Amino acid sequence: MKKDNERFVFKLGAVVCLALFASNSISHACTTKIGAVLPTSVDWGRPIAETAQFVVDQVNESGGVSGCSIEMVLRDTQVDPKVGVDAAKALVDLDGVQLLLGAVSSGVSMPILTSVSVPSNVMQMSCCSSSTAFSKLAENGKTEGLWFRTFATTGVQAAVGAKVAKDRGFKKVAILYKNDDWGQDLNRLIARDFAALGIKVTSAVAINDGQPSYKAEVTSALSGSPDVLYLGLYPNEGTAAVREWLSLGGTQNMIMANSLKSEDFRENVGLQYLGNAFGTDTASPRVASADAFVQLYKSHFGKEPSGPGLANSYDAAMIALLAMEAAGKGATGDQIASQVGRVTDPAGTPITADAAGFKAARTILAGGGNVMYQGATGNVRFDKNGDVSAPAVVWKFTDGGTTEIEYLSLTEVDEFIASMN
Amino acid sequence: MIGILSYIIFFTTVASILAIAVLGLNLQWGNTGLFNGGVVAFFGAGAYGTLLLGGTPQPDHIAGFELFYPIALIGGMTAAGLLAWVVGILTLKMRHDYLAISTFGVAVAFENLMRNAEWLGGGAKGLRGFERPFRESLGDGFVYNFVFLIAVVFCLIVTYRFQEILVSSPFGRLLRAIREDENAARSLGKDPARIRLTAFVTGSVIMGLAGGLYGTFYAFVSPQDVLPTLTFQIWAMLIVGGAGNNKGAVLGAFIIWAAWTFSGWALSRFAPIEAQLYTGSIQYVLIGLVIVIMLLWRPQGLLPERLVVSQSGLG
Repeated sequence: MKKDNERFVFKLGAVVCLALFASNSISHACTTKIGAVLPTSVDWGRPIAETAQFVVDQVNESGGVSGCSIEMVLRDTQVDPKVGVDAAKALVDLDGVQLLLGAVSSGVSMPILTSVSVPSNVMQMSCCSSSTAFSKLAENGKTEGLWFRTFATTGVQAAVGAKVAKDRGFKKVAILYKNDDWGQDLNRLIARDFAALGIKVTSAVAINDGQPSYKAEVTSALSGSPDVLYLGLYPNEGTAAVREWLSLGGTQNMIMANSLKSEDFRENVGLQYLGNAFGTDTASPRVASADAFVQLYKSHFGKEPSGPGLANSYDAAMIALLAMEAAGKGATGDQIASQVGRVTDPAGTPITADAAGFKAARTILAGGGNVMYQGATGNVRFDKNGDVSAPAVVWKFTDGGTTEIEYLSLTEVDEFIASMN
Repeated sequence: MIGILSYIIFFTTVASILAIAVLGLNLQWGNTGLFNGGVVAFFGAGAYGTLLLGGTPQPDHIAGFELFYPIALIGGMTAAGLLAWVVGILTLKMRHDYLAISTFGVAVAFENLMRNAEWLGGGAKGLRGFERPFRESLGDGFVYNFVFLIAVVFCLIVTYRFQEILVSSPFGRLLRAIREDENAARSLGKDPARIRLTAFVTGSVIMGLAGGLYGTFYAFVSPQDVLPTLTFQIWAMLIVGGAGNNKGAVLGAFIIWAAWTFSGWALSRFAPIEAQLYTGSIQYVLIGLVIVIMLLWRPQGLLPERLVVSQSGLG
């Protein structure tokens, strides 16, 4: 009886081994895990994760990284720093990942960076964390070159907002900003930029989420009789605050951050009041790859990539995997991070952001060449702090959505920012 | 292998820190019957206090006194104690649900203060610039986490012993007497108001210790760390473990935190690929389910309070 059992176990083992071997030899010889820590329990976090997974699927389709297929292990952060750090730690320690994608909130990305990525020498690339605290940390040498983000820092957005005010000849501005790390940063930066351009900030008022009324805040913003209103808000509070602003007789001259580029905002405020409202946004440069991303996204998901951070998530995943390919098999986090410059080299061979582009990049990188990644957010280029700059657009609301009224190339943005300093 | 060990060390550290906070709540709720709905405020005061006192100078906010670490930690605990004292004097006249609501309000106020007062705690960006103690000599990796774990477990054991002694002392009996029947205690010449305040402050100082260790471990704290979710987590740990029982409090902390993290890990590993994107939501459902089942099946907790007659009739 015992012997039978042993034999059975042996046979079973052999079958399992064969099955494993067979299934592996069909696809790739091996699997490399990468980690993703994203807030998938939040409605807008899920598409960000889907987009990253879409990149992984395409890379696998093109033959994987260093001959291995990529498996993205996805963990939810619940937007809770404890949970996010634990998930990241488990990915690094238990799954042995050398690359982490995430997180979204700066308050989660930061402890992951300081207590997991840097001590464990793992590269971390975020699609969406915007806090200036990361730049400062990098300047102090605390990120050890392991940190990157494809979300243009708030500085670009602020500079272009200030430029709009200057070009339209506004002299006095009131600011309403969302009371979180993004909003506080934006307010600080744009107030500085307005001052540099000689525009007076009559008041800057923080707007907290979920209040039934913003009358008090709006009244205090009205007090200096500004001729333009700057809005660093999200659609929900933005709608409520702007309605009160207009009903109390505030000016219809408005400058909006990209967060208000939303149909809800347009419909709920009413297009007739938004004739003089100018939006700013970082933009895709005029290259085919940015449109190609939109086409690719539409053909895969059957809808426009309209949620926040989707293009950024796409580029984050793609650049990270390109760097992994460049670093070669079994590379550690710092080795991968050191290759990011090689795949985003402005002097390199341009490649597209899809399976074919990845395939082309593989050949060039193997031959020792550099490539210039042309992605969903443009020709991404990181500075020494792992930050990206970006071209910008000025836009307005129309019947059908938004229309662009001005485009500033990367060089123009950089020159304008330099001119203020 | 080293990876698994490293993760276990990490997990045990976080669970032990939370266990200390649960012990603090056990003193307040389990033993004295004070419904503290603002655990996170005292936890946060400890974390912010420790990092402010022990951190390096920063250009955009105060802090950076670079005090010797144990002094910074004690400073954090003192901050939590002071906050508890002020809150206690104002609110301890209230009972049960009223106390719960007002302490919850204090916690929300604390979070908003930290989110807005950039000069104080760095605002929404959080508090940076803290160097973990002994980092130069121990490095940043495995060894450091191991030594830190020993320090945290030591703190947990000291807290546990302290509360065991406290609970079995005449003072502990007095706490339970107030919990069960305040008028009876007063009729015996005791001063419930003072005793309640003492228990509230002591419990909060213990929460402050947990917060200080938490901030030290991550070398960072932001308003996102002091959201009401943490209060809920600490309460769930105490209820599941067993209010009034110190062993239960520690056990509950480990079980709930393990359920919280392990469910995420297991789902990421075993859930079918099309369900992967929804694991976050599934995890919430599972955790909620565990707590509901627990409350229905064993409302007294895994290790219920053992009522002891502290003086036998023969004594």
